[in-house]
Amino acid sequence: MQVTVDGVAVEVSDGATVLEAARQAGSWVPTLCFDDRQAPFGACRACMVAVDGAAKPVPACTTVCRDGMTVDTNDPTARRVVSAVVELVMSELPSPPAPHTELAQVATRLGVSGSRWPGVTHQVEHDLRHPYLAFEHELCISCGRCVRACDEVQGTFALTAVGRGFGANVAAGIGSGFLDSACVSCGACADTCPTDAITERLLLDGGINGGPPPDAPRLRKRLSTT
Amino acid sequence: MDTERFDRTVTTTCGYCGVGCRLEAHVRQGRIVSISPASDGPANRGHTCLKGRFAHQFTRSRERLTTPLIREGDGFRPASWEEAYTRIVSELQRIKGEHGPDAIAGLASSRATNEDCYAMARLMRGAIGTNNIDNCSRVCHSPTSFAMRRSFGLSGATGSFDDIDHADVAILIGVNPTQGHPVVGARIKQAALRGCKLITIDPRRIELADYGELHLSPRPGTNAAVVLGLCHVVARDGYTDPAFIAERTDGYEALSELLANYTPEAVEEITGIPAADIERAAHIYGEANRASLLWGLGVTEHKYGSEVVQLICNLAMMTGKVGKVGSALLPLRGQNNVQGSSDMGALPDTYTAYRPVSDEATARQFEQAWGVPLSRKKGYTIPQMFDAAIAGDLKAMYIFGEDVAQTDPDTAHVVAALENLEFLVCQDIFENETSKYADVILPASSFLEKAGTFINAERRFQLVEPAIDPPGGAKTDFEIITTVSRMLGHDMGFETPWDCLDEIARLTPQYAGVSRERIGRHGLQWPVRADGSDSPVLYDTFFDNPELLGKFAALPYKEPGDAADDEFPLILVTGRVLQHYNAGTMTRRTSNVELVDKDVLEIHPTDAARLWVSDGDVVSLRSRVGRIELEAHVTERIQPGHVFTTFHFPETRTNLLVGQSADINTSCPEYKVVAVDVRPVSEHPAYVPQLAAI
Repeated sequence: MQVTVDGVAVEVSDGATVLEAARQAGSWVPTLCFDDRQAPFGACRACMVAVDGAAKPVPACTTVCRDGMTVDTNDPTARRVVSAVVELVMSELPSPPAPHTELAQVATRLGVSGSRWPGVTHQVEHDLRHPYLAFEHELCISCGRCVRACDEVQGTFALTAVGRGFGANVAAGIGSGFLDSACVSCGACADTCPTDAITERLLLDGGINGGPPPDAPRLRKRLSTT
Repeated sequence: MDTERFDRTVTTTCGYCGVGCRLEAHVRQGRIVSISPASDGPANRGHTCLKGRFAHQFTRSRERLTTPLIREGDGFRPASWEEAYTRIVSELQRIKGEHGPDAIAGLASSRATNEDCYAMARLMRGAIGTNNIDNCSRVCHSPTSFAMRRSFGLSGATGSFDDIDHADVAILIGVNPTQGHPVVGARIKQAALRGCKLITIDPRRIELADYGELHLSPRPGTNAAVVLGLCHVVARDGYTDPAFIAERTDGYEALSELLANYTPEAVEEITGIPAADIERAAHIYGEANRASLLWGLGVTEHKYGSEVVQLICNLAMMTGKVGKVGSALLPLRGQNNVQGSSDMGALPDTYTAYRPVSDEATARQFEQAWGVPLSRKKGYTIPQMFDAAIAGDLKAMYIFGEDVAQTDPDTAHVVAALENLEFLVCQDIFENETSKYADVILPASSFLEKAGTFINAERRFQLVEPAIDPPGGAKTDFEIITTVSRMLGHDMGFETPWDCLDEIARLTPQYAGVSRERIGRHGLQWPVRADGSDSPVLYDTFFDNPELLGKFAALPYKEPGDAADDEFPLILVTGRVLQHYNAGTMTRRTSNVELVDKDVLEIHPTDAARLWVSDGDVVSLRSRVGRIELEAHVTERIQPGHVFTTFHFPETRTNLLVGQSADINTSCPEYKVVAVDVRPVSEHPAYVPQLAAI
């Protein structure tokens, strides 16, 4: 079937999503919770686009194409929603995301810098007990990619989404850390994480991710309480 | 996106297992700082395991060899490359002069590139003049290679890992992919979660058994009876494909007669598997439209390992489940290039693509290309090399990328052979158990430091590109081998490994269309025709032998080489764990040791209770040929009567226990059936075997 994205007509197969059509047409759609290796999740709302005939913007990653559909990825209303979503996500972080992360790149491209909503931010909480994988819980935006990487790519089911609302985060096992969970250390979670909330120890310890190496005293405190 | 974090990123192929993950190696200041999976890797599709992703710290280990070493008294002294080369060349020439070329043997490495292995084979054949060249596939999948050539014609998987996604049923025999081949393990698990029915056959209850329809636990060494039982039920209950048998195969009548004996009840008697489970497994397989068969070293490393592979091929042919998408036979090859090292002719009896050394036309082709006369006489296999060394017929060995004193069976015998050599060259990235007996040690390169190609378990050529430089004065294996050859008077004329790849393609019709450019990011599955088209599926219309027919093999079950008795009442099975890789040379020098730091003995609670062994106790493990000590791990993953351990830590020396029993066709050792006696020992320091005294 044929779909038109930003004026470009593309041929897509049955069941293709608007996001796939947009990529095929060469249009950029921001995403945070999407990963090609996983089934679309539709959680982050960063991929909202306008579709001809729809009353409100729709998420590109979970909306299936119809024949003759017209899509506008630059629709002002959709873009306003998306920018606000990314701004809200950033407002919860204690420091801006490192430049190499997907979140930082999406924000830059949308022109979002900082947040108009100062207020409470996540408390810095690092877990460095695993030799290769580190949690920086304060950077978690609850996109669910790590959990789905563990489930859908690796099939180990070691990670869980925990908490609600502002307290939502991710945990290995029952909050016991990677080492005491079912984790097989494949690193698919760190690979997909768009913020470095789960990252590689070598990159973190070496200061390669940007920012100072992890704060050792805080780590000790964290370890002594668990 | 990572230009700021990394100086450069190089796409290469993983050097651990035979899955062949494509990796992006990220380099900063000349060091690997991170590795991530290539999203377009055909085997791994954006995923990899902790070895591929994290276990790269060994590249900068302080223990890396960085200069040639020459024996001096009881130790070694650093030497220049020139001195080391001169020594090697003069000793090899002396021994060749005094004892003839067949007194020298070389070992190529399944960890090294195709080009390294081809060059090593050419060094032995062209420069020395002997067919004494073998590689470590001898001790893992040589039975698979032998049997698949007998049954189907070609030595390799009939399909690809993608077939797992298309299969309704997959039978896994003697293979534990979530530990040994983690990315394929993950793909199988996802397939199972989507509805693919798994049948697992293994003495241990492997992780994938928890995701399967049915798990069968045969007694170690009785695989043949299990497969014959499956074939019996398939034939009895009408699940065969008579048209396929009639048109595409040969020899079914003889098999049919043999199968009559293998009723589920008879098979239960031999294997311990309930007859009803044999029936159910055969029905699940028979009813499937598309079913794939996967196996590993649990099938091959037996006295009749090669015959069991032929029996597996029978099962697929009887039901017409071969040569079709979703119906593949996939031997999970152990090492990254165990397929390629053999494909390249680093074997005592074949040139590239398994063409016999005795074949006049092939030998002439190579004589013409290399400009030297070549021997038509088969060389020694690895076990024959050790026997010949002890007998005094073999005087020198050149071993690269293999630690035979740790990994080969009957360690005491291997060490005696190495000690009896007049001259031993070891070329490796670390000193190891074998290099203790060397006269010259050469510092070589890891997969992250060299260029060339690997062939994965899907017969897929994939590119290897250097991400970092070899440390210190170390050189690439390719440079070392070609230099030694040139100094011996046989200049191979290769500037780079890519020149060598071109020669391989030119001299091998099965790889005619292979080139660096064509391999590109997606690889090529051999046979590769001259126009560059490759072969994801084999045997879709004919089998690859002169008659174009699949060959049934009517082979009865025979007892394994070792059996439990009053003195040695338990059967030991050996294998590997996720966190470590074979001899552990690389993974033991990474943070993987923080995850697993020792080999343990798995033992069933019933046996443990009877022997007064508790979880964590040190136990003595004694076989007919040796004794070691290990920590016990009490678990129900293993059946009563069986125990299991790994072989990753040299201090354990698991292979002291393994005797000389080997596959009857390929001399692949019977690592999987060793009768042992287990006793608790009090906590005093472990007994260290005095190998040198033997």
